Amino acid sequence: MIPDLSVKIGKVKFSNPVLVASGTFGYGEEYGAFFDLNKLGGIITKSITLNPREGHLPPRTCETPSGMLNAIGLANVGVKRFIQEKLPFLRNLKTKVIVNVAGSSIDEYVEVVKRLEGKKGIDLLEINISCPNVKQGGITFGSNAKCAYDCLKAVRENSTYPIIAKLSPNVADIVEIAIAVEKAGADAVSLINTLVGMAIDLEAKKPRLSNITGGLSGPAIKPVALAMVWKTASKVKIPVIGLGGIMNTQDALEFILAGASMIQVGTGNFVDPECSVKIVEGLKEYCQEKKIKKITDLVGKLKT
Amino acid sequence: MNQRNEEGLLLSVENLGEKLFRLKIYSPEIAKKALPGNFCHLRVNESYSPLLRRAFSIHQVETEKNSFELLFKVVGPGTQILSEKKPGEKIDLLAPLGNSFSFPEKDENTVLLAGGMGIAPLFYLVSSLLEKKFDPQKISFFFGVKKKDEHLLVNDMVSTGIRLHLATEDGSSGYKGMITELFFQELRARRLKTKRTRFYACGPNPMLKKVSEISRKFKLDCQISLESHMPCGVGACIGCVVNTIKGYKRVCKDGPVFDAREVILD
Repeated sequence: MIPDLSVKIGKVKFSNPVLVASGTFGYGEEYGAFFDLNKLGGIITKSITLNPREGHLPPRTCETPSGMLNAIGLANVGVKRFIQEKLPFLRNLKTKVIVNVAGSSIDEYVEVVKRLEGKKGIDLLEINISCPNVKQGGITFGSNAKCAYDCLKAVRENSTYPIIAKLSPNVADIVEIAIAVEKAGADAVSLINTLVGMAIDLEAKKPRLSNITGGLSGPAIKPVALAMVWKTASKVKIPVIGLGGIMNTQDALEFILAGASMIQVGTGNFVDPECSVKIVEGLKEYCQEKKIKKITDLVGKLKT
Repeated sequence: MNQRNEEGLLLSVENLGEKLFRLKIYSPEIAKKALPGNFCHLRVNESYSPLLRRAFSIHQVETEKNSFELLFKVVGPGTQILSEKKPGEKIDLLAPLGNSFSFPEKDENTVLLAGGMGIAPLFYLVSSLLEKKFDPQKISFFFGVKKKDEHLLVNDMVSTGIRLHLATEDGSSGYKGMITELFFQELRARRLKTKRTRFYACGPNPMLKKVSEISRKFKLDCQISLESHMPCGVGACIGCVVNTIKGYKRVCKDGPVFDAREVILD
């Protein structure tokens, strides 16, 4: 028996529930040297903004116990060059392409989304309302239910692609934000983005990141992510995409049990470039072994 | 698909001095493809602590033995674990990664500057030049360390007939002071030719900052190999950038070898 790993978000059917997280996979090409990208459910690009961004001063990353901090500062080529230079590669892939969009005002989100509209090779959008590292925008849209609603509503009205809202854990109640973006017309929510964190170089009496604070990712945040996915999944009808410290098949299955219809591998890509495809294989093997016909049968099946 | 995880077999672990180690690793793929300047990104163990891979310059390659070497100093938990490995253990490697040094012409002079562990890629470069029958008399090697016992591989270099300039910060061997001071003195006294000469440097950032300033001042054709914390090592995360006159560049993918005149280090 070959288990059915396919999952749907909006009208888009993914061959399996494994995605690679924004910011950890460039624009796809870098990891194309390591494995067949078509084996993935989908690829999520680095955040795209209206204009190119150079990003923050180095040092931009540092390792922490079972995790890492990053403050890249949304460095990206901007929407124009993305369409000209990066999309042609992605267009030739059979896997689904999700373009992550960031902005510092609702107008910017709308402008980027308008420019991406109708472009061949894009299957969905993920709206980043949760970047912890840029002063204006990003997280400010994701930390208040009203702002999150307004942002997603504006994007919804200007795009025909299915839309995923990427949520921040740095809020009082993530469920409230998830409900708001569902009302605004989002087709799915992905959570969690990184947690705000900090590391200090005692010798130099300086922060380890030039931005002082950064976003914490990796196995260190998995328990937080699982709890948030579990809480959110029972309160919204749209699919929940889980991420936060997923390193292997077991981690992925835990998120699925907690209510995630799909999962994203982020920091895991750095540790093992083939982490995501190994999870695709691992899910298949697990379903075969446990005689599970469809992976969707497992979603939210946590016994509580 | 031309890149993949390699499983290397550890052949030997040598302790060369205080906290200094050399690993010899069997990997036919890497031994075949590696060039001076390339680096390898390795996992020190299978756990998630430490989490990220570590980047090391490829130090030496023995093509006929299908092996390559890494040279490193124990500076934290990752290098500590690596130094305690035993021959026969397997090592998860991504290599060769990054760009490589561009070689001089046969009739050009070559000047190399190594600071501390900066010896690792430059020794590989100089060995490659000698293997290609470059005239050792046209090669000058400046090697600075903190104290004498860190002057690794000096005997190997002496026997090749290249011109060796040694410095130690404590004066226990050679010139007393920084290697960049000795280099600058030689340059100012016109004992080093700058025309039809290729310069190469690797070492700590403060040293490379000096080299970069000197290169701009004297218009030297100088390549420097940089070090940075690299989460992905393949150009995806944009975490390891260095500032240049052309904007931020990824050390892992656009480097680690850069034109010294273009890099802006602080």
